[in-house]
Amino acid sequence: MEMDDLPKGELPPHLELQRTRVVCAADAPSYTESVQYSGAYMAYDVDNSLRMEDFRKNFRVEIKSLNEDDIEFDLIGIDAALANAFRRILIAEVPTVAIEKVYIANNTSVIQDEVLAHRLGLVPIKADPRLFDYKTDEEIANEKNTIVFKLDVECTHMGERVKNASDQLKWLPAGSEMPPDSKTKFTSFGCSQDSLPAFTSEAIASRYPDIVLAKLRPGQAIEIEAHAVKGIGKTHAKWSPVATAKYRMLPEVVLLEDIEGDLADELVRTCPVNVFDIEDMGPGERRATVARPRDCTLCRECVRGDGWDKRVQLRRVKEHFIFSIESTGALPPEVLFTESIKILTEKCQRILTELL
Amino acid sequence: MDGGSIPAPPEPVTYLCGDCGADNTLKPGDVIQCRECGYRILYKKRTRRIVQFEAR
Amino acid sequence: MEIGSEVDPSSATFSLTDEDHTLGNSLRYILNKDPRVSFCGYSVPHPSEARVNIRVQTTGAPARDVLKDALHDLMAIGEHVRATFERALEQHKVTRSMNEMSMRSGLTSQHTSGSVRDQ
Repeated sequence: MEMDDLPKGELPPHLELQRTRVVCAADAPSYTESVQYSGAYMAYDVDNSLRMEDFRKNFRVEIKSLNEDDIEFDLIGIDAALANAFRRILIAEVPTVAIEKVYIANNTSVIQDEVLAHRLGLVPIKADPRLFDYKTDEEIANEKNTIVFKLDVECTHMGERVKNASDQLKWLPAGSEMPPDSKTKFTSFGCSQDSLPAFTSEAIASRYPDIVLAKLRPGQAIEIEAHAVKGIGKTHAKWSPVATAKYRMLPEVVLLEDIEGDLADELVRTCPVNVFDIEDMGPGERRATVARPRDCTLCRECVRGDGWDKRVQLRRVKEHFIFSIESTGALPPEVLFTESIKILTEKCQRILTELL
Repeated sequence: MDGGSIPAPPEPVTYLCGDCGADNTLKPGDVIQCRECGYRILYKKRTRRIVQFEAR
Repeated sequence: MEIGSEVDPSSATFSLTDEDHTLGNSLRYILNKDPRVSFCGYSVPHPSEARVNIRVQTTGAPARDVLKDALHDLMAIGEHVRATFERALEQHKVTRSMNEMSMRSGLTSQHTSGSVRDQ
């Protein structure tokens, strides 16, 4: 079939829309699948295969905001399968250090032993997990795979409640002090941990010093030693390094026709996040424009009324992901992302060595 | 028959009064009564052995 | 582990242990984009078992080579993403320190941050 009016090698606009956008109608989204087959557009002489030069040319990263705990950045030109792989690795497979074994010498508080141990496991610890090794159950705890903390609090008879916060978790760089009477302690540290270069300046402690662990009344005491080891979120969620890691596709709001006058005012009123703005075109003429499409939450309020879905179209751009990573404090969020890429590469490497 | 039962425990055990919370050291054969307030229900203290838990 | 390629090396099922959708979906995407592949899909046979089966059927090339190329491509993409991300980080830190310096020196933030955003 000859279509001489189209230049070879380019898709007609309706197919380009299907390939690059998800149309979010009021009832359901359409064109949600990414077109993956390499020969899908052979009839138009458009090669849909993955070519590394094209990928390198089109891929962009834009950092929108960065602070100590959060980062928000855009990945443009990558497919959903890879973006999701990064998100899954961030949540479940980037290692952290968290308390695993709790040795309770005394606990006369109202918090049960196991509940207190569970709470201790969830406390985020500010230690770089790349400096530590994994520890199996059979291995002896040494200074390369375990961090030891001590919690020793008592509420004296002053009539006041004592709050027991995480800043009272003291780091023991020299190793375990329990059991108190026997010669062999629970850990065998070859050298004290604060002689290692990374730890001389700052003691290892919880990232947030004001987490309440337990509340004590007069006469109650807690005496605990906690051992922290390295692990991944897949085993238990306490080892997940992110509060959350999420992404969304860039929203796009398109006005299919000019919206003027009272209709424009109505449109600006319906949007709960103020995506639209009024533009003054001159005496008495007001037109609606899309000012902040990035803030759109796709609530579909602007297409809900009568006839509005012919005037406004909500879409999402397929290969543009707005990533948001919130770290719990062990590693800064930008380091977390680079670590997740490294872990994906390691997975591929492992399969390659198996295949060879 | 006597399969290794321990003779009278050498260490006096302290119990806590249910009412006033005072420590009472009792030897086997003593009257079970708080020394300070006379309450007759005494609780044993928590063990000193180290218990291990997994923080999961 | 490769199954089914003794007779015909161009079609095979690869059964990978200790893997899940993280690698399965990404590999399937990359394999499908390869022009030598006529069919590619992945499945997780049971959610309690960490195993992924990837089926590859090609137009002639041995399936194992196509899978190897896809793994190399995935590693190359990851490396490129990392390099681009770090370059963007550097640039972000530079523009942020420029903004802070100009705000401290008393210039109105409208002049400077406006031009920075245009970049």
